[in-house]
Amino acid sequence: MSLKSYKEKSGQFVLPGERLGVIEEFIPNSGTYVKSGVIYSKIVGRALLDFLNKRVSVYPLVHGAKIPRVGSIVLGQVSSVQSENAAVRIFKIGNKLLSGFFTGILHISDVQLRYVESMYDVCKPGDILRAKVISEKNRTYHLSTKDKNLGVVYAFCSQCGYMLASKKQNMYCPRCGKIEKRKITIDYGKGIV
Amino acid sequence: MSQKSEKLIDKKGLRLDGRKPNELRPIKIEVGVLSNADGSAYIEQGKNKILAAIYGPKEVHPKHLALPDRMILRCRYHMAPFSVQERKSPAPSRREIELSKVIREALEPAIFLEYYPRTAIDVFVEVLQADGGTRCASITAASLALADAGIPMKDLVAACAAGKVDDTIVLDLMDTEDKIGAADVPVALMPNLDAITLLQMDGTLSLEEFEQAVNLALEGCRKIYAMQKEALKARYVNVKEVEE
Repeated sequence: MSLKSYKEKSGQFVLPGERLGVIEEFIPNSGTYVKSGVIYSKIVGRALLDFLNKRVSVYPLVHGAKIPRVGSIVLGQVSSVQSENAAVRIFKIGNKLLSGFFTGILHISDVQLRYVESMYDVCKPGDILRAKVISEKNRTYHLSTKDKNLGVVYAFCSQCGYMLASKKQNMYCPRCGKIEKRKITIDYGKGIV
Repeated sequence: MSQKSEKLIDKKGLRLDGRKPNELRPIKIEVGVLSNADGSAYIEQGKNKILAAIYGPKEVHPKHLALPDRMILRCRYHMAPFSVQERKSPAPSRREIELSKVIREALEPAIFLEYYPRTAIDVFVEVLQADGGTRCASITAASLALADAGIPMKDLVAACAAGKVDDTIVLDLMDTEDKIGAADVPVALMPNLDAITLLQMDGTLSLEEFEQAVNLALEGCRKIYAMQKEALKARYVNVKEVEE
């Protein structure tokens, strides 16, 4: 193929399976795969041919197919709390809402830098929690809230179910007056889920 | 099988709906029609009306079904009770269960399953109106829905059937041709890799006729692939321009 036809190809709309070149001319980058020496696109997007660095990639036009990875910020609902662990139903990864859910585990040692006495002082079932995935060992997503913008974003009273308001160190329920404890984020109650 | 009360091909060599033997039915494809699904597509092929929706990747429940090295593809082909002349029971029939398996196996080779281990992806195919060749149209729509969901794929899958009617090899059989005709050969193809992912045959064909039918079906698949491409382009290129 001549250089001119390649120039035309850059920025072109491509589908999965569309031929982009061969491995002798380009280094395959994101959005591509190689089969018997030929580089193909694997997503719907625009082909980017970088002649300076001899790289070919596909810029995605579709954003989908997200699963939790180490380092991703996730949002989930606390489904159960034990003295040292909390199980979280992850329903949002980054800013993508999932159609299903993934299960993550928050261990007491990953809640805060300082010593935490009990998991019941961190979150309660039903709370909405923002956390970071720190490991996916043993087929489970381990979460961490060791940051000021990680933790509970919405908490609910364990007595009446009303949304708790933050008051100095503690949380209190405006309806029944119960005082509770949570590890909250700095934007507690303000963020949009 | 061959009921000769009705001629399926007239003296001019045209079929019941006025098509030539190697002509497809009019096809309309739309991508991204459902907002709740991660990916979706709608296809009208003649009188066929089929919706396909993708949900996932998501965690597998019950957990023992999950595979440690790849994701599982779950497929449900279902015909609406009003999709055929006589009301069809909404419960999955033997035929629907088999078609679910066939569609799943036609799509599986096109997806990078190993990218998302221990997860599942659900493919729902809902036939709203059926007029023969629904398995092929379902595969065509489902592969578009997968691409719309942003799932990495080796290639799109396009499917089309060919068959024998009144001793003529014809493309894209409709319901009456399928029922009265002598044979039906559905084929699914990954056009860029030139790999067949589905090949079935119903009825009797000689070796030469079979080869002829497969080649005609492959030709049909390539035509359908061009339409799939147009549909995805219409969805993504035009939408982008409006946003900008």
